[in-house]
Amino acid sequence: MRRTIAGLALLALAGCGANGGAGASGGGTPTTGGTIIYGHVQEPPCIFGGWIQQAYISRQVLDGLVTMDEDGSVKPWLATEWTLSPDDTKYTFTLKEGVKFTDGTPVDAEAIAWNFDYWENHGGNGTAKVSIDPYFKGAKAIDATHVEISLHRPYPPFLPLITQGYFGIQSPTAFKSRGEKENCEKPIGSGGFVVKEWKHGEEVVLAKNPDYNSWPATAKHEGPAIVDEVRWKFVADGVARYASLSTGESHVVYEVPTVNWKDAQSRYQTIRYITPGKPVSFFINTQVGPFSDKLVRQAFAYGADRKAAVEAGFHGVIPYEGNPSVSQATPGYDAEVAKAYAYDAAKANQLLDQAGWTARGANGTRTKNGQPLAVKLVYGAGFIFTHEGATVLQVLQEQWKQIGFAVELVPATQAELWGGKYSDPSTFDATPSYWTSPSSAILWIVWRPSTKDNPNFNNRSFFNNDTLAKAIDQANGEADPAKANALYGEAQKIIQDEAAGIGLYTQNSTYAVAPNLKDVWLEKSQGEPVFTDAYFVK
Amino acid sequence: MRRLLFKVVSSVVVVVAAASITFFAQLAVPGDRATALMNLQTGQEKLWTEQELAPLNQKYGFDDPLVVQYLDYVTGLFRGDLGTSYTQKRPVTEVIGGQLLPSLTLTVAALAVAWLLAVGMTLLTVKRGRILSSLGSAWEALTASLPHYWVGVVLLVVFAVQLRIFPIIGGTGALGTVLPVLTLAIPLAGFLGQVTRDEFTHVLEQPFVTTARTRGMSDLGVRLRHVLRHAVLPAVTLSGWALGALVSGAVIAENIFGRPGIGQVLVTAVNTRDLPTVCGIVLVVAVIYVVANLLVDLVYALIDPRLAAR
Repeated sequence: MRRTIAGLALLALAGCGANGGAGASGGGTPTTGGTIIYGHVQEPPCIFGGWIQQAYISRQVLDGLVTMDEDGSVKPWLATEWTLSPDDTKYTFTLKEGVKFTDGTPVDAEAIAWNFDYWENHGGNGTAKVSIDPYFKGAKAIDATHVEISLHRPYPPFLPLITQGYFGIQSPTAFKSRGEKENCEKPIGSGGFVVKEWKHGEEVVLAKNPDYNSWPATAKHEGPAIVDEVRWKFVADGVARYASLSTGESHVVYEVPTVNWKDAQSRYQTIRYITPGKPVSFFINTQVGPFSDKLVRQAFAYGADRKAAVEAGFHGVIPYEGNPSVSQATPGYDAEVAKAYAYDAAKANQLLDQAGWTARGANGTRTKNGQPLAVKLVYGAGFIFTHEGATVLQVLQEQWKQIGFAVELVPATQAELWGGKYSDPSTFDATPSYWTSPSSAILWIVWRPSTKDNPNFNNRSFFNNDTLAKAIDQANGEADPAKANALYGEAQKIIQDEAAGIGLYTQNSTYAVAPNLKDVWLEKSQGEPVFTDAYFVK
Repeated sequence: MRRLLFKVVSSVVVVVAAASITFFAQLAVPGDRATALMNLQTGQEKLWTEQELAPLNQKYGFDDPLVVQYLDYVTGLFRGDLGTSYTQKRPVTEVIGGQLLPSLTLTVAALAVAWLLAVGMTLLTVKRGRILSSLGSAWEALTASLPHYWVGVVLLVVFAVQLRIFPIIGGTGALGTVLPVLTLAIPLAGFLGQVTRDEFTHVLEQPFVTTARTRGMSDLGVRLRHVLRHAVLPAVTLSGWALGALVSGAVIAENIFGRPGIGQVLVTAVNTRDLPTVCGIVLVVAVIYVVANLLVDLVYALIDPRLAAR
């Protein structure tokens, strides 16, 4: 039903295109002031945290120590420069002088050290923690403007990883003196905006920080935000969100419905960001069930035309990703690895025969020793997978059926999935998910072997492989990027060869921006929108 | 007086029972609350070690015996304390309080508009010749079966995008409330209309209607003063139910038009296993049901004096 409606809305919207954009790239006279209305999808529980939905908005309020440039290099932000000790384990950051949090306290070395300690040791941010564990040792202030961060071992991905929004610096004074509620709703940073008001269920009003003096090196202008306010609205429905651009009720919208993408390109400025890190790919349960046999996993990978299904399901807007472990936007991505397991039904059938699944049941399902080749595919319905994603899964299910798999699609609610209902190896055979990260070091986070003393619950394929672990570990400590990437490539190849994961598509962020609003851009590490440089033209 | 007291006491029992059932139903959902919270904070879907979960278990008392957790909760209720939201870190009364008025405005207005539409259609089309009558009942059958999402999007495309009369993201302003209200009112009007139409047709055939007509009363007068009074009784009964259902069902209209309301909050809270918030909202909805049904009883007495005399 939703697809039909979206199509109807598209027609209707196209009908009133005459007064829409056209001059998307045209000039106009820049103005100062004004209010940007931004249509976002999900409302986070707090403005700061380890979920990307929180990073989107905390990026507006909190500054980071460093930031990532378009080419993936790390550039100054609150830190103007940094040095690395000869043994590659101590970073000394020099802080910009005269920067103050919006509560008036200084952004000094003590404050930076406190933030690292908060994330790492006091539950401040689980995602920040897992990004730098187990390398992080400690942070200490040398003097007011120099902070030293020491690691247990060399870890070159440290710098790119701390460019993520999870590493936004907060005022320790404000944090310690206020209650949980204030810290949740109005974190105090030194960013270009401050949280003025959060109308729950409706919008967060961000007001310009008039004293802003700590813009990143990647900023498009120097100085405080040009506009006065950003009204960060939550509009969960895609049709309404996209339509609000055409009526002038919003200036920027997030997650343009793929069915509207072509229309958006012709009328607005569009930005598509392919998220680095783990793409949307299947974890394959290598411990329990039919997929404990590598041949069956490989047959599953060969057995459906994933590329065609993704292209059809997402109207050609979202790219197919054949590499299950890192996406094409990630430094160190191995494009060769992504080519494996192109659709080949004959090969899939041959592998299944070889694995002993030779008999066929009444409905065409293969059997072995009387057991049917049944696979339980659990997916997060409505939050990891949109209805478009679910359509892709249904197409694949039909193709897998042809080669003898009985795939049961199990839509899981957020409460079930996040509550841990499908955590145990006995509860599923395959499950798709993604994890954004600007570095191939994500491989260690996800694929580190799980041991009794140090379990890795992120490794949802339950795939423990020492050669793989060694390759990633070496890569993480390798100072030469070429060598590191070769090792990361080796790791990707092992995961692909073993079919411990199966690729599907890249996680994307799409934005459409009204023609009269210029210089809205996305930061590089996670694709968060930046509004401090944006201005309206007349 | 005794009857009123009985009503009040039984209402309180109903409300506390609703809260209690929700409390245990929420606990019965598979999955651990501390795990869900950790995953919400990190956007993950994994298991966590005991050490990682310990601070949360400690803080919210997830490790306490169920009886203790339940008694804590119920005694809190009587003190007007609904607890603190696990996810939003605010008191549940505040979480709900801010969203209640927009929800009530939306649902009460939707019910009122639905009534206007249903009564209007009934007066204008019942027994008005075959064509009009069938048009009326066809319209009711059609609208009663329309999904809210479809109605909402069609209204949005026609009145907000094409005609530009109403805003899409209207917030809680009067103009912005029109389309969400219609989204809920149109299917409900069809439903109420169907019930009223049957009764209306039946009553029109009663002897007292003929009597009234022989007294020289106009057709409209007969319909308004005599027939309608009888015919609305079933729809009044349903309205009590409809109000409660609208409060919790408003989430679709809220979603489309970016409108605050407890429907949205409830869905998010269920998804994130935010137990105090879920219980709080169910409690509020239960109160609305109870109040609505008390009102229905009163309205009954107004419409049918025989009931008041009893």
